[in-house]
Amino acid sequence: MPQTLTQLLDGSVLAMPIAAGLIMGMLTVNVLMLVWAERKVSAWIQMRMGPTEVGPFGLLQTLADMLKLISKQLITPSNVDKPLYHLAPLLAFAPVVAAVALFPFSESTILVQNDYGLLFVFAFGGIAVIAIFMAGWGSNNKYALLGAIRSVAQNISYEVPLILSALSVVLVVNAMGPTLSSGDGVVAINGLDLSHIVMTQDQQGIWFVVLQPIAAIIYFISALAETNRAPFDIPEAESELVAGFHTEYSGMRFSLFFFAEYTNMLIVSMLAVVLFFGGWDGPVLPGPAWFFLKSYAVIFVMMWVRWTFPRLRFDQLMTFCWKVLIPLSILNLLATAFVIAVL
Amino acid sequence: MSSYAQLALLLGLGIALGAMPLVLPLLIGPRYKGKDTESTYECGVDPVGSSWLRFGIGFYVFALIFVAFEVDILYLFPIALVYEDFGWRGFVEIALFLSILSLAVVYAWRKGVFHWAK
Repeated sequence: MPQTLTQLLDGSVLAMPIAAGLIMGMLTVNVLMLVWAERKVSAWIQMRMGPTEVGPFGLLQTLADMLKLISKQLITPSNVDKPLYHLAPLLAFAPVVAAVALFPFSESTILVQNDYGLLFVFAFGGIAVIAIFMAGWGSNNKYALLGAIRSVAQNISYEVPLILSALSVVLVVNAMGPTLSSGDGVVAINGLDLSHIVMTQDQQGIWFVVLQPIAAIIYFISALAETNRAPFDIPEAESELVAGFHTEYSGMRFSLFFFAEYTNMLIVSMLAVVLFFGGWDGPVLPGPAWFFLKSYAVIFVMMWVRWTFPRLRFDQLMTFCWKVLIPLSILNLLATAFVIAVL
Repeated sequence: MSSYAQLALLLGLGIALGAMPLVLPLLIGPRYKGKDTESTYECGVDPVGSSWLRFGIGFYVFALIFVAFEVDILYLFPIALVYEDFGWRGFVEIALFLSILSLAVVYAWRKGVFHWAK
């Protein structure tokens, strides 16, 4: 089993607070850089300059924006459902911190080692849907409610192909053999353990994107929809719904949603790297470097897609999921099971 | 400490960390009050009625199929972990399970759930 940070700090009550602090630091830098990168990439694609004023290449622009948001008043409209309205941003924020801790950045760098990490990542992702609906319903605003309903319908629908495509990978991992040699010797293989998924790809010398290309494509499309990004950004369609479910949120409450949204981008990209692109596996550079290089490459593709494709209509979005992606992922799962049974 | 307790603790810490930036604006932010500041946004006019209205039944049906699907798919995870040990029998069972599951999509499709009324 990989050595975890918590094993290093074994017995210390400070282990988890330190882990949470590390994650927060990492995620804050990640979000600040991603927002800047998103603006620069969109500017590059649209032949504009993007942010240039604050700091070199406008790097500190997001930091300046954050300082502005901190100094804004926290307005609570008088006719909202107060418990739901106040709890929603926290509920959107908390699970992303826990989900990031589960990822193996390299064989020996992992904050929380759990045998069922894959299930937990999906479970924490599921909480976001509840937070979005709480925000939309609690706001007592028609735009927010419409945005929340759309968002929930979209998120739950696309979760099915997302999990089905991950399931095909789990099948392949378990079929790769009963055991796996890790740092601690030979262990029984477990397809739900994120480290085992990566180690299998490492030891077999093949990335699962080669063995499961259809699952990889389905995963990527569903991941775009799960993170509410264009061309699936109907919940936040600015031209019709103002800002969707977070219309009534301003200042730091809005930032918490924004933070969760960009961290979710990182989470789905890291999961894509673990499932399909060999995780920390790579030559010369150390493991975490490869892991993050690959993750940010996936994020770049997500940005590229966002600024290239137009937004879908809502019925197109739902029927595409149920008529194309779900049947396709079920067939892919059956084909995978068939091939494994033959071999 | 088991990894489950660690995750639970991290969730709690996540809520605490999320609450922290909400305290700061209370100290340094402006404190306007008034009818316009505290009303919800509706194109700049006073909101008309409550927003807690009825909405399309289509969304409800999607939620129902989702629940049926998602719960069934979760059963596949334990099967995936032991699939290797059962060979062809495992394949037949997984195929039966998935085809019954697919009937839900076929049924909804035939019932016109995926046809959006114009």
